[in-house]
Amino acid sequence: MTPKERIRRSLVRIGAMAAKETLHIQRDPRTLYLALGMPVVMLFLFGYGVSFDLERIPLAVADRDRTEESRALVDAVTAARELERVAEVPAERADELFRRNRALAVLVVPEGYGRDVARGERTRVQLLVDGADSVSANQVLAKVDALVRAETRRLSGPGLADRAPPLRVQVWTRYNPEGRSALFMVPGLAAYVLAISAVLLTALTIAGEWERGSMEQLFAAPVGRLEIVLGKLLPYVVLGMIELQLVLAFGTVAFDLPVRGSAVLLFSIGFFFLAGMLGQGLLISVVAKNQLVATQAGALSALLPSLLLSGMVFPIGNMPLPLQLLSRIVPARYFVHALRGLLLKGNGLDVLWPDLVALVAFVVVILGLATARFQRRLA
Amino acid sequence: MTDPAISARALTRRFGGFTAVDAVTFEVERGEIFGYLGANGAGKSTTIRMLIGLLAPTSGAALVAGHDVATAPEAVKASIGYMSQKFSLYLDLPPVENLLFFGGAYGLEGKALRARADELLELTGLAGLSAATTGELPGGIRQRLALACAILHRPGVVFLDEPTAGVDPAARRAFWRIIRDLAAGGTTIFVTTHYLDEAEYCRRIGLMVDGRLVALDTPAALKKTWVPDRVLVAQGQGLAAAGAALLAREGVRGVAPFGAGLHLRVDPARWGEREVAEALAAAGARDVRVAAAEPSLEDVFLAVVDRGGRAEGAA
Repeated sequence: MTPKERIRRSLVRIGAMAAKETLHIQRDPRTLYLALGMPVVMLFLFGYGVSFDLERIPLAVADRDRTEESRALVDAVTAARELERVAEVPAERADELFRRNRALAVLVVPEGYGRDVARGERTRVQLLVDGADSVSANQVLAKVDALVRAETRRLSGPGLADRAPPLRVQVWTRYNPEGRSALFMVPGLAAYVLAISAVLLTALTIAGEWERGSMEQLFAAPVGRLEIVLGKLLPYVVLGMIELQLVLAFGTVAFDLPVRGSAVLLFSIGFFFLAGMLGQGLLISVVAKNQLVATQAGALSALLPSLLLSGMVFPIGNMPLPLQLLSRIVPARYFVHALRGLLLKGNGLDVLWPDLVALVAFVVVILGLATARFQRRLA
Repeated sequence: MTDPAISARALTRRFGGFTAVDAVTFEVERGEIFGYLGANGAGKSTTIRMLIGLLAPTSGAALVAGHDVATAPEAVKASIGYMSQKFSLYLDLPPVENLLFFGGAYGLEGKALRARADELLELTGLAGLSAATTGELPGGIRQRLALACAILHRPGVVFLDEPTAGVDPAARRAFWRIIRDLAAGGTTIFVTTHYLDEAEYCRRIGLMVDGRLVALDTPAALKKTWVPDRVLVAQGQGLAAAGAALLAREGVRGVAPFGAGLHLRVDPARWGEREVAEALAAAGARDVRVAAAEPSLEDVFLAVVDRGGRAEGAA
């Protein structure tokens, strides 16, 4: 047989595997749901649910002063509707409110506030914050601080404004000026949901052949290991690319996610990330030989690293060194990084090439492992 | 075409301390239907898996279709067809897609594959199947479809591992008709079964007991060697008591109830139909009719197992 003929035969066999796998997918609604439904549903739930933006923060007010000035302060703080006045209480009841989750913060205006303001003297107000949720607590502090400063400036009047400090810090946030967590989260979430569905998709396929007993029949045919692996992978890569487009389209429509970089680069990076995650599923499937074990191992191995070590939620720079090193073998880390850079900053290959190289390397290694661990003999 | 289709030399497979197949030696000629018989766990499937390159032999050697199973398993795989024990088709796919897939797996493609698939559907009597999925088909049809999948690429040697397990008698008969047509066309068939009636279809039979091949010959020769007694069947009344009396006589080797009658094994030098009839009548039976019966492979099988394989070597 000439080498050319050999390659042609090999392609025929890979094609036959891929065609068969495509039929399996078409006939199994669960696969289509896993590939197309689950990511969108998850993105929807996470995108809206996992938001660090606080709106209508419940704020209780303990106004001991009850003067015009104190009411002006409370109005100023709650005017923007970011903080919503939910109760008027004595300051001693703050703990109770926090325990019952009725309020996140209590603004205490001391007696004599109006008098001090009228005299132009230094005065103080107190803010009690529920620190159980540190993320929310920090946001409340920042917001109230800003609002009280604004009120101070108003009270100081134009005369005092001239005596402003010579050094002024102006904060100017690029790429996500509104500080919307959706813009930060959606690229991470896209990586996360793609990782889970991709690993689960292929985790089932080879284990399924073992369970069905058809693996023995397959081994008795002259189909090579790599041919089986590639044939199985192919339809899922196509499915995964559709999934990626769906997730991105959903992100742009529902969360106003911008796409500032090149679409070609975006899909190349997406392709290698998907191929890597599908390959991870195949490796699990090859080792587990059992659909139940494969599903669990697949879900765990995709879920935890993609969630915790990808930089999606927790910045990698803040992790202890061992975790930082571990995150280097998590493809989601590179994908999240590249996706954020590409979507939000419009980064090109000149910046993102290390991510692309890492993803390609992962694909090669994982498919090599899957093929090597795949024994075509029974014992 | 003088080379045997299959030749095994002291083929052995051990799993840890357990010897599943113990130094099995035999040859199968081209175009022959070779039956491989034995109880469950006797080593039939293990032998097949070694012969098709799926399991490496621990020692010994085998040539299948001219290729060494140990050194060239891929060449073996390309030239044989195999139908595993629980014919593993893809039940969620339509029948014809199973054919097309296995055709592709053996490197067939395009129009040639389509034409061959249609031809096989015709040959196995499955043309015009309208089932949406293979899972909807009854066992007998699935089994024929599995056979079709195994012979799409026109292999010279076909291995069938208990192909008819769990299939009804009519379907088994239809299946064996296809097998015999295949063999008549020159295909070598290596088939394991534990239906002894099916073994009669085989030109030669190998009997496995505990991993060893203890007998190998044509069905007729096996019967002659292993069941040298004359087998007679007696009908009549009052046979039970008469039979018991007869068992005491010299040359009567076995008496067993057989339906309403009696099954007797006797020394052919001493006893004929008439002598047995007279002796039974003398012992009190009435309306006695005695006829010669052919020993069945079941008799052979029981005789072989009884002797625990203290056999003549496998020929």
